[in-house]
Amino acid sequence: MITAERKPLSEIKEMIAPYKKILVAGCGSCVAECASGGEKEVGLLASALRMDAKMEGREAEIKEVTLDRQCVYEFIDQLTGLIGQYDAVLSLGCGAGVQAVAGIFPEAIILPALNTTFIGQTKEAGLWIENCRACGDCKLGYFAAVCPITRCAKGLFNGPCGGSKEGKCEVDPDAPCAWQLIVERLDKAGRLDLLQKVYPPADWSKQQGKGPRKIRREDQIV
Amino acid sequence: MDQRSAGLNIVIFFCRQLDANQDVNRRALEKELGSRIKFFPLPCSGRIESLHLLRALETGADRVYLITCPEGSCRYREGNLRAGKRLAFAQGLIEEIGLERERLELIRATQDVQMTIDERAQEILMREAVVGPSPIKKSVAGPAV
Repeated sequence: MITAERKPLSEIKEMIAPYKKILVAGCGSCVAECASGGEKEVGLLASALRMDAKMEGREAEIKEVTLDRQCVYEFIDQLTGLIGQYDAVLSLGCGAGVQAVAGIFPEAIILPALNTTFIGQTKEAGLWIENCRACGDCKLGYFAAVCPITRCAKGLFNGPCGGSKEGKCEVDPDAPCAWQLIVERLDKAGRLDLLQKVYPPADWSKQQGKGPRKIRREDQIV
Repeated sequence: MDQRSAGLNIVIFFCRQLDANQDVNRRALEKELGSRIKFFPLPCSGRIESLHLLRALETGADRVYLITCPEGSCRYREGNLRAGKRLAFAQGLIEEIGLERERLELIRATQDVQMTIDERAQEILMREAVVGPSPIKKSVAGPAV
């Protein structure tokens, strides 16, 4: 899941200041799960902005819509015929959603209300943690499904740094030491032999250095 | 000046478990004050969403109260604790737009005092008006498109 957090209201207000008719557009996928851009959050932000405009005596028409997904054309198409009625769209989608909507409606003003943060999991209600950097060269199969790039504060590929205390990271004492987790899990599974092997270095060209990455699947193209 | 004399619009969300006859007990006050007082019984205060509180303010309430059952006696164990967190979240949001956080208030009932909902409402109306009428005039809530 892609996680995000709402920008401070002062920043949002500054962005929307030149516009009177604003469509607050949420996304019912990842950002709804992390309680930053779903229908409820759209309602809260739109309500706060309407009240703010009233308090400042500004004329503003702020409406709400939530798409099932803001990063897929078939869902974005819901905005066709609607988007032209507004001066700007305040998107509560992730960065991919904002850009996807802007790509389909290049004439429209699309503004981000969220700061997209990381790929992560819902650890418990109200707590999301990062656990994937989308490096494009997944090594989880070697490391007991614990990503050392993401979950080790130092991104170490070759074992623990030696600074952990009681299984906790020395950089963030709230976080478990990724390498302790890896060793414990592999030991439990009887697969410590995986750590004896020498692996080729990670291919970072799959993550960076070639501009925006893309995946093309001929069988999916219609 | 108390809140009744100040003519404030009061909205009260409350846990229905607090008063078994709440639907009857609140009628006289609703009749007397009309639109100046609105009651919203909840099956549990944990049903409240921050959005409910904001919508109440947006649609003309000067003060919004959320009355929960006493700590440790929620029928659903943690509903009243969650309600407090949601109210705090809404307070943070209204503060960001410059509205006083006192416009939203949590009242936690206590074990030792048994009161009907109208008695609680009367007590609220008798309180000093620490904030005046809301600077948000009659706002027309925009429906979802």
